[in-house]
Parts: sequence; C-alpha cells; structure tokens
Amino acid sequence: MGVKGKESTIVDPKIAASTPVSSRIGAVLVVGGGVGGVQAALDLAESGFKVYIVDSTSSIGGVMAQLDKTFPTNDCSMCILSPKLVECGRHLNIEILTCSEIEGITGKAGDFKVTVKQRPKYIDVEKCTGCSECAKYCPVDAIDVFNEGLSERAAVYVKYPQAVPLAYMIDRDVCIGCGLCESMCLADAIHYDDQEGERELNVGAIILAPGLEEFDASIKSEYGYGKFRNVITSIEFERILSASGPFRGRVQRPSDGEIPRRIAFIQCVGSRDTTCGNSYCSSVCCMYATKEAVIAKEHQKDVEPTIFYIDMRSYGKDFDKYIERAKEEYGVRFIRCRVSSVSEDPETKNLRIRYENEEGKIVEEEFDLVVLSVGFESSEGIRELAYRLDIELDEYGFCKTPIFHPLETSKPGIFVCGAFSSPKDIPETVMQASGAAACAEGLLSPSRGTLIKSKEYPGERTIRGQPPRIGVFVCHCGINIGGVVDVPNVVEYARTLPHVVYSEANLYTCSSDTQKLIKEKIEEYDLNRVIVASCTPRTHEPLFQETIRESGLNRYLFEMANIRDQCSWVHMHEPEAATEKARDLVRMAVAKASKLEPLERLSLSVIPRGLVVGGGLAGMTSALALAEQGFQVYLVEKEKELGGFLRHIHYLLDGSETKKHLEDLIEKVQSNKMIEIFLEAKIEEISGYVGNFKTAIAIGEDREKREVEHGVVLVATGGEEYHPDQHLYGKDPRVLTQLELEERLSSKKFSGEPQNVVMIQCIGSRDDTHPYCSRMCCSEAVKNALKLKEVNPKSEVFILYRDIRTYGIAEKYYLKAREEGVTFIRYNDTNEPRVVEQTSDEGGKVLAITVFDPTLGEEILIEADFVVLSAGVVPPKANESLAKMLKVPLNEDGFFLEAHVKLRPVDFSTEGVFVCGMAHAPKSIEESISQARAAASRASTILARDAIEAEGVTADVNDRRCNGCGLCVLVCAYNAIEIDEEKKVAVVNTALCKGCGACTATCRPAAIDLRGFTNEQLVSVINSF
Amino acid sequence: MTSVEIKSESKKIEDMDKEWEPKVLAFLCNWCSYAGADLAGIGRIQYPPNIRVIRVPCSGRVNPFFLIKSLQCGIDGILVSGCHPGECHYVSGNLVARRRFAVLKSLMEYIGIEPGRLNFSWVSAAEGEKFSRVVSEVVKEVKALGPVKRLVKGE
Amino acid sequence: MSEPRDQIREHARRLLDEGKVEVIIGYEKGSVPLQSTPCFVRDADNVERLIWDSTCGPNLAKYLFDREGKTGIVAKACDARSIVVGIVENQIEREDVVVIGVPCEGVIDLKKIDAVLDGKEILEASMDNDKVSVKGDGFEQILSKKEFLCDSCISCRHRNPPVYDILAGDELEETKESDEFEEISKLEAKSPEERWNHFSKELGKCIRCYACRNVCPLCYCKECFVDETMPSWCGKTTDLSDTMTYHIIRALHIAGRCVDCGACSRACPEDIDLRALTKKVEKIVRELYDYEPGLSLEELPVLGIFEQDDPQEFIK
Repeated sequence: MGVKGKESTIVDPKIAASTPVSSRIGAVLVVGGGVGGVQAALDLAESGFKVYIVDSTSSIGGVMAQLDKTFPTNDCSMCILSPKLVECGRHLNIEILTCSEIEGITGKAGDFKVTVKQRPKYIDVEKCTGCSECAKYCPVDAIDVFNEGLSERAAVYVKYPQAVPLAYMIDRDVCIGCGLCESMCLADAIHYDDQEGERELNVGAIILAPGLEEFDASIKSEYGYGKFRNVITSIEFERILSASGPFRGRVQRPSDGEIPRRIAFIQCVGSRDTTCGNSYCSSVCCMYATKEAVIAKEHQKDVEPTIFYIDMRSYGKDFDKYIERAKEEYGVRFIRCRVSSVSEDPETKNLRIRYENEEGKIVEEEFDLVVLSVGFESSEGIRELAYRLDIELDEYGFCKTPIFHPLETSKPGIFVCGAFSSPKDIPETVMQASGAAACAEGLLSPSRGTLIKSKEYPGERTIRGQPPRIGVFVCHCGINIGGVVDVPNVVEYARTLPHVVYSEANLYTCSSDTQKLIKEKIEEYDLNRVIVASCTPRTHEPLFQETIRESGLNRYLFEMANIRDQCSWVHMHEPEAATEKARDLVRMAVAKASKLEPLERLSLSVIPRGLVVGGGLAGMTSALALAEQGFQVYLVEKEKELGGFLRHIHYLLDGSETKKHLEDLIEKVQSNKMIEIFLEAKIEEISGYVGNFKTAIAIGEDREKREVEHGVVLVATGGEEYHPDQHLYGKDPRVLTQLELEERLSSKKFSGEPQNVVMIQCIGSRDDTHPYCSRMCCSEAVKNALKLKEVNPKSEVFILYRDIRTYGIAEKYYLKAREEGVTFIRYNDTNEPRVVEQTSDEGGKVLAITVFDPTLGEEILIEADFVVLSAGVVPPKANESLAKMLKVPLNEDGFFLEAHVKLRPVDFSTEGVFVCGMAHAPKSIEESISQARAAASRASTILARDAIEAEGVTADVNDRRCNGCGLCVLVCAYNAIEIDEEKKVAVVNTALCKGCGACTATCRPAAIDLRGFTNEQLVSVINSF
Repeated sequence: MTSVEIKSESKKIEDMDKEWEPKVLAFLCNWCSYAGADLAGIGRIQYPPNIRVIRVPCSGRVNPFFLIKSLQCGIDGILVSGCHPGECHYVSGNLVARRRFAVLKSLMEYIGIEPGRLNFSWVSAAEGEKFSRVVSEVVKEVKALGPVKRLVKGE
Repeated sequence: MSEPRDQIREHARRLLDEGKVEVIIGYEKGSVPLQSTPCFVRDADNVERLIWDSTCGPNLAKYLFDREGKTGIVAKACDARSIVVGIVENQIEREDVVVIGVPCEGVIDLKKIDAVLDGKEILEASMDNDKVSVKGDGFEQILSKKEFLCDSCISCRHRNPPVYDILAGDELEETKESDEFEEISKLEAKSPEERWNHFSKELGKCIRCYACRNVCPLCYCKECFVDETMPSWCGKTTDLSDTMTYHIIRALHIAGRCVDCGACSRACPEDIDLRALTKKVEKIVRELYDYEPGLSLEELPVLGIFEQDDPQEFIK
C-alpha cells in the first residue's frame, strides 16, 4: 500500500499534554456507520490508519440507506452510497463491528482503550453467504424497522438487500426456535448458542458519527400521528417512495392502499418549536419535503402536493433553483403558514388541515395523505454515549463544539462529525466526516502506517504467447443456483467450449476451502484464465481476483458469469430456460476470457507537498491541517496579508469576538515551518496531474517568478461581498452594507443615540443575476440587529426579509431578536421595498422606506436613520482563470463545482484537486473550517502514499490509427486525455483515467481502446451467438 | 493466439418443437443498471429468461457498432441500460451516450430496422422492479416482431 | 465590382506575390466540357488558370487535410464549412489557411445533363447566368441551369461561406424556397418494411469501391474502420448485411459533421442515393440538437458534448 510514517512538526499544546508523540496509536475508532462514519473511515484507512467502525445495528449505511432520492439532484441514494459501503466492507484496514455499543473508555488522546459490547447475531458473519434461504423458510412475520414498520420481514433477516456486511442475523425477540433456518443453511452459519461478546480496542483517536434520531411525531398530538392512519412521517414516506421499499415505489396511503392525490406536507414538526423544547431548525426538512413532493409527482402524475411551511429554508448550493423547479415544473404548492390542527374524516379517512393563511384568515382544506416533516433530535442513546465518553452536550443534547473548532468535542482526541453536533444534510456531514478524519490524522500522524496491514503476493506468471487455458468453476450456491439451474449440465457444456481445459461444480465457490481448490486446479491444469459462474461480480469479483492473484495469475485474467442474481433467482419457475441461459452466460464468459490479457496497475510517484490557493480562513485552516500531518504546504494569497473575508467579520452570533481567533490562526500559519507563504501572489500556470503538479507563481509588486512542485491543489479562493447598486447605496452615506455596519459597530463609531435602522435582506441574492441564496445574510442581519439593541435597547430595528434562513442553532438568535423587539417584515419578489430620501416633519432629510406588509395587507412607510443592505456573497472573478488552469468546472453562479454534490463535496472529478470554503459556495465560519479540514483529509489520502496505483482498466491509444481529432478529449470527464501537438495523437494519462470507456466508444477509427473491456473482447462475446 | 470461434449451438435447441423464443442481448452499466438487475434477483422479481447480459463499465462504453453487430449475429433484440442522467458513476458517460444512441436509433429505424429491436433505458441500482419491467416489455415486443431477419448475415 | 473569377485571380496573385501562401488551391477548366478540376497554383503568373463557374463542384477542402504549409483555397460555402469542421477537429491549422470564400448559386450535376441527352456526348458547351447550352454531334440544346443543379445545391441553405478571410464576389441572399428534407420526409412516411426494401435495393447496388469515402473531406482517418481487424468491424463482402453495415456506420461517422456538399453522391459509380443517408443524419442532429456543422469555429463537435436536458423520449 505504501504509506509513509511522517514526523509531525507542530503539536497542539492541548494534545501535547496527553500522550507522548512516539507512543500514539495509529488506529481510530469511528462510532456510527452512517454516511459520515463511512466517509471518515475510508479517508483514515486510505491515509494509513487502522479503523474500527462500531455500529449499533446489524449493518452500516445509516439513515442514508433508507432514503429514496437525494436533493437537489434527485440522485438515487443507494446508488451513490452502496459503492462506499462495499469499499468499506472489503477494506483490508477497516474492521466493522456491528450490533455493537461502546461500554467504556480509559486513557487519553493518542492512546484510548475502548470496551465494545457485541450483541449476538446467532449467525456466523464469516460463513453466511447472504443467500437468503433461511429467511425464505422462516415462518415468523416481524415488523421491518428498515421499512419503518410499513412491511414485514422474517425473524432471520438482513437489514436491507445491499447491506454491508451482507450477513443475516436472527431476531431472538421474535424467533420461535423452530430450527428451520438451521436445517436450510447449507453453509452451517447458524449458531443458536451465540453469546454476547466484548472487545477491547486500542485506538489513538475517536470520531463520533452517531447521527441523530428523528422527532417522535406523536408528541405533537394536534397532527394526529399514531391516531390517524393516513398521517405519516417523512421518513415513512421516503420508504414508500423507494423502489426497494415496502410498496416498491408505488405511492399509496396506509389506510386503504389507494393512491393519494392530495398530499400535504407539514413542516417544522419538532423543529422551531419551543413547546416541545426543540427551538432549533432541523436544517434539512424544507429540502427533503420538496424532494419528496417532486418524487411523488414523478411516480404518480396526478398527485397534488402542498407544502405548509414557515420560511423556505433552501439555503444550500443550488437549493433555490430546486424549489423553483418544484413550483414551476412540478406544480408543488407552497403555503406559508403554521398548521394549527389535523382532523380525520372517520369514513373516508381523509384529513382536514386547519391553518391560518398570510392574511390572517382561518382556512380548512382536505387531503388524502398528510406527511409530517419531522426534525432531528438527540436521544437517550446519544446522551448515554456522551456520558460514557465524558463529553459535553449543549442545551439541546447535541455535541458541544466551539465555533472555531467545529469538529472537536470537549475531550481531546475525540472528534465529532455529522448531525450529532447539529442537524445537517448529507454533504455537510460528509465534509465534517473528512474534516474529523483530518483532525485524527493530525493528532496521530507520527503513527501513520504503523498498524495497517498490506498483502504480499507471489510474482506474476508470464502468459504471453500461451494459448488460453480456461478453468470454469460453477457454483451451486447451496440450492440457490443448483435448485433451478442444472449445474452438472452447465459444467459439462463448459467442457465442450474452446480453450476450456477444466470445469467443475462447487457447493459454494466463494467458501474459503474452494479458494484453496481453485488455486490447486490452476496449478494442476496450468490454467491461465479463470471463470466463476456464480453470483454477481459486484460483490464477489474482488474475492476471486484475489484468489487467482495469490496463485500467480494477473487479477484481470478473471471473468464471472452471473448465473444466480441474474438467472436462477429471476427464473425460478423455468429451470430449463434458466439452464439454457446459464450455458449461454458461461459461453459468453469463455468468449471474453479467451481474449483477456494481463493488465498492469501503473504506479505513479507522489510529491508529498500541497498547494493551497487562497489565504483566508479556509485556506489557512487547510494549510495548517496538512502541515499538522507533516506535509509541506505552499500557501498563495492574492492580497498583501492573510485573513480574507474573515477580516471583515468582527464578532459572532453569540457575541464573541473573532479578532483573537484570526490573529492566532495567522500567527500559527506564519510560524509553521512546513508552510511557505506567498503574499500578493498570482498563479500564472499550473501543469501536471495528481501527485505531480508544477505551478508558476508571480509574487509581490515586481512579479517575482517562482516555480513549485506539489502533489495536490486545494482551492480556497473564498468569496466577496456583493457591491450593491440599488437603494441609494453609494449615493447616500446612510445606506450601508452589513459588513460596513459591523465595522462601525465594532469600532464603536455608532453613537449611543437610539437609531432607527432598516435592514433589507437578499441584496444581490436570489435575484435574476444572482439566483442563489448567500446563506449567511439572515444570521448576519440578526447578529447586527442584536448588537444594535445591545448598544442602545431603544434603537428600532426592522428587518425586511423574504424568508428568514437562520438554520440549525442560529434559529435561537432569531428568536432572541424577536424577543428583543426587532421587527421582522416579510416582502416578496413582486413587492420589493423602496428607499427614497425625503424631508421629514422636522424639515431634515430622512431615508424613507416603503414596504408592503402582508399581515396588514397594506403598504407601510418607515423612516430610518440608516438603511443596511444585506449584500450577498459573490465569487471572485479570478475563479474563471483558475478553473481553466486546473481544468475543473464552475457552476452557473461562478462558484467551483465539486465532483458530486452529495458524496464528494470537496473533490473534483479531476483527481488531486480539492475545494473548500466560500470558493465552493457561501457558508459560515464553522462550515468553512469543517470543509477546509475535509479538503486536507482528502488531500492526505494522496500525499500519504509513496505512489498512487492507477486503475488497471484504462484507455489505451493506438498511434497508428489516431487522427488526433480530439473527440476523446472532449468526452473524457476526467481530463485524462490530451492531444500531443507534435505527433497529432491522443495521449492518455493513466493516472487520471477511470476506465469508463466513453472515449473508446466515440472514436471513429477505433484508435483508443479500453483495457479489460476491449472492442475485441466485447465483439468476441457478441460473435459467440 | 489461436482463432477458435466460440459459437452458440443454441440454434439447434431452438429447432426443437418448442415455441420460438427471442434472444435479447443487454449491455448494462456496472454501477446502476447491472446493480439494478442484481437487485431484481435479490428481490426474486421474476422476468422472462430471454435476456443475456454483457457488463460494461458505463453506458458510455457501448459503441453503436456493438448493436449493429448484434443484429448481424442474429440477436433478436437489444437493450442498452445505464444510470439515470446525473447519476453516472463516471460523471457524464451516459449523457454522451444518450446523443450517440439517439442518432443511432433514429437512423436504424429510418433504414427499416423495427423500432422494437433497439431499446434503451435508465435503470438505477435501486430499481430492481423497473429492470424486470423493462426486460419484460422488451421481450414481449421482440417476440411480437418475430425472429430478426433484417441485417442478419447470410439471411 | 468585377466578376468573382477575376477577384479570385487578383487575390491569388497578391497572396502569392506577397508570400502569404505557398499555393492556391482552386478550380481550372477540365478537359471535358462542363467539368472543372482542382488546380494548384504556385506561381503568380499562372493565376489565369483559375476559374469560377457552375462547374466548380469538387469539394476542395479535401486537399487541406494532411497538408502542411500556408495554403490559399477557393471555397464555396460547403467547402468552407468542411474546412471549419477540419479546423475544429484539429486536422487543419487555422493560421495555415487563407480562405478565399465565394458565394455560390449552386453547381451543375453532369449526371443529370447526361440523363436528358440519352448518352449523347457533349463536345462543346457554354454557360451564362441561368442557361447552359450544349452542342454535340448533330444536336444543340439550351438547358435551364436551375433544373440541372446538384440535389444538395437545390436545397442549399448556406450559399455564403460562414468563415472566410477574403470574399470574392458579393454575398447572396439565402433562400429557403424548398424543403431541404423533402425527400427524407417522404421516406420517413413509409413503413419500416418499405424503407428496408428501399435501402436494400439502393445499398444493394454498392460494389464497395469506397469512392464515397475517398472523395469525402471528412473521411480523413488514417485507417478506415472497414479495413480494421481485431476486431473486424465490417465484412468486406458485398453481402447485403455487410454493405448495409458499411453505409450505416459511415453515416454515423459523419453525423453532426457532414455539410451536404454532395461529393459522395456525385462520386458514386452506381448512382446510389447516398444523400438519403447523409441528409437523414443531418436532419436528426438538427432536430435533436438544433445543430448545423461547419458554421462556426467556436462550436464543439455535437456528438462529443451534451446538455443535461437533451431529448430522451426513446429511453425507457
């Protein structure tokens, strides 16, 4: 694997007090196997640490595995999550402990001893093949929790079909002990006498990713959850929508299975609600409800979804566009109100919703189904965990974290990510997970590579020039295949095929004794290609490839025929046809295998240094995070000093000052020997690729040239305040932006006189030229309003807004502002406020603001001493040239566009380039820090290696045929192909190629081919018919 | 390398007194549609056994020529299935493929290849049900068309 | 203004004199009446060889592919569009070419004239704006030029070169008189079986001489797919299946690139209706992606790019 152990040069004093650098343990415990835990585990394992994942349920995947689609792209949740789960499941240095809980902990940062209790599963995970025969014969019907109780499962079950690990367990609470499963299990995996176990893990750091629980909707009795059958929660609806859910994606209501036409979503159930103690905003419900409405509409054209909401909090990247599409294209109806009650028509089981509309009128409307958008909350289990680990929780039971250290718990060496520290969506969770991994990597960097395993293989046999000698192993899979397909017949048929020199049947080809047997047969028959006809290559190919590699064959000399998942299981009642199909599939595999060639995974050296572009909060944080891990960093800042946007932020929502934090951070960066800072610097050219970049920088006034070499690039170019041209800004000195107001307030330029201040939101946000939400302006306005009130409680502050988007815990300060008498007046797109200068009654010139107040139903006029514009965040112009140099995309708004909005929020499709901070999208201080650390973590998975191993399946150019037309360059999503201008031919950079084959299929003269899926191999399969 | 051709002797089987059954070849992308087909298996969702799957990394890997070649080889129907737009494991392979297939399909139909011979779908890893439905539809349609004649070599 | 021909000669002389180009590729009078052939003028004294009239059919862009050094070229709109495609596809260096664009009212299709003359040989011919007079052994006929234009010229929508360095002659008004896809629509209206029979008959005539490929400027592959092995893409026989496959793949290869210059149809010795294929792919690309090739140097190859919301009604 080639991971380096590096000397750390700087040590956090807080941690230095704990365990000496030399004796820190190079292993990390991740608590919680949801998407956050999985991401943290993968980052850590990829950068040289041993990882344990502890999950209280029977498999990893968490809540994301339950989701149907994800916003704002409507990506299938399982499609994007499953590859990560599989990767986790088979990673040599990740150990997954399911059905496990943390019992106790001793030790300190760098060296913890954690006791883990493992509940018995009654099935041997090692032996279970996931074949599901046991469940088929189990006579028990129990409630399926994964499907939110909407369907049933057997007493012996697997959490969901794609579960990792894919091993069944017995639910002893419902098991009747009939013994049927044991007699059906041909793998001997069932052990009724399984006992509770205990493990002691020695780890250097702990990452908490337990997530949160959903709010118990029955507490809000006015909505009738638990009483009325057609009132369900959003997560239940998610399962209903899922193609793999209880109704296979058919939208139906619980009472009668009818398709509900009128569906109501009630927002803020258990969120923004002081009556149930949850005064915070759950941050994700506005978006998920809209998504569910859209998906329901996609499933069932005549559905009429209505969303009852207070404020539309679609503050994230491209979220507002999603809401617009929901309205325009899908006809989702949005009604701003608080719903007072839901009642049921006892006959039709339809539901009547009572609400007060914006004009203050009470309205009643009937619906067929009501979905409650439940928020997140802490749970007993989470409190228990916090108690055992001795970490502090905040007033809501969320993990307490300082704003400038959003990933650190109150206990050194224990880090946190995801919803546990406050409600958040998937990308924020993934960012935090990588960020928390970076924290652990920084702490443990001297022990990097000390506890990981890597495998030694025998040398590879040369097969060049030898005719194919193919061995075919056909699996019975107990009776899963053998019960339908005539396996002996298939084995016989295989023998008749050209190049096949050996074939046999196995009870379980995947069992460890069969692996031994395959190796023996390779030896005995001098096999140089191996085919296994069994289940799916998606789960089992790596296992068999490993086996043949262990006996000296290149791992790509392997082919699989899927005669179970895609044959015996789906043609159970047609044994003859299934057998014929299995024969065909084997023949096709033989046709391909006879053309297989060994593939090489190229090894590419890595320059263990990083380039960080931008010296603001995100840039400095990521530079430090890399330096902490022992990597040298070049930090490039365009201005004369470090600090970026944060220089203009003087205090935070909770009133605390930022100055000291910023000064500390700058000091730390400047004094770090691993960081070289270039100020007033401009990047002129970037060449190279992952592991080997070369960048030309012009520094200072006299543009002094410097060339640096590095393995990764972190883009942290930040954002800028929009420069307003409306509302007399720049014409009247009493019209300010929020940053200007903040400057005055912090430098005490504001007199103690009471002032009339009107703030106008969404200036340069959510308009035609800037169609996105700048995310922070609502909190900024609330923050500055509170400050004005603090300076003089008699000041009158008005905030004219469209939606107040104080998501998460910031909601608390919105409530506080209301309590302190700040007046909030909503305006809409068609009735924007107008600011004019006019003569007051006293004869002075005042600013007059006219705005339509929807509650009063008329225009009101406010006279103000100051008008403060909440100007949005705009991307720096220079993003465009940097994006071109790096060959990475910008979105329509000019911010950098990440590789995948959900699961790769700091990566680009181009490997070795990462993004963080406001270069990605407007965001808060905590979010910038988390993302900056995340970028460092992702970067370290590359920098920690001596060399990167490229894919084996990559594109390959035949110069003799290539015209150099450049079509392949155009279709390559990874910038892996360039045209050699000298030779006029395409050149593939194997380091960047991912092996998709888009280039291959697009090339007219077939000059570019895909190793492992060559034209010749695929045509050979077609020709076998 | 020897040039032994691997050929089906299935024609012989067909000749037996059974009702004619079409053969459908499917090119499935590894990450979504192939996974969707697996999921159909896990859910034991039954569909007609006429389909033979070739696994490719991405629908973007499918060269239009493969489909023409399949018809030449006497395959009665073809299905190409990939990830839904926006879900491609390789970012945009399916979107490039979509243009390529749109042109191919129009052209083939124009030349007189029956529309039901060439089929395309987006099936995600969670759509086992959809996969089986698509296969059933395609098989039914191809069956109605009868054995492929046009473009078959030697016909 | 002087005649386009004179302007061409003038520009050619200047370009050669000033050393801006090494050679001018244009047309000269052919040895047979009503036919012109490509000519390469390297000496300013020879520019009088250059002509411009309705016989100037061949797509000269073909000669720019694989060519090095500064070259001036006389280009009708379709030649110019082929050049644009060549530049976009990296086959022609923009700075190496001086395009002398000529607005074109269409070129005549000799096959059509031969057809009305029933095989009688033309010995002498002359042309003016809209008439062609042909003389031979015992006959003399005056023909209306309009009726003997190439099919691709009749439906031409781009009479003015979209990209040029120098324009010889005055820009013409573009016309949209006839439906350029009329013939295609007629075929489309038939049943699949009728269409299959039509194409079986048409393409069945193919003798695999590859004249269509050899004359096409966009068929610049070093090795054509028909000649490739491992795998072999297309049998070399005249079995209908192989012939069809050849023509289908060729049509796919020029989809989104073909500018309908008509060169392939004119070159086909069997008089196969090749435009029924090329015009169809043009129509498909136009309808689906609102794209016409060769009109701008900034555009990217239409089948190498995509839009999120490209049509996908055909996808289940």
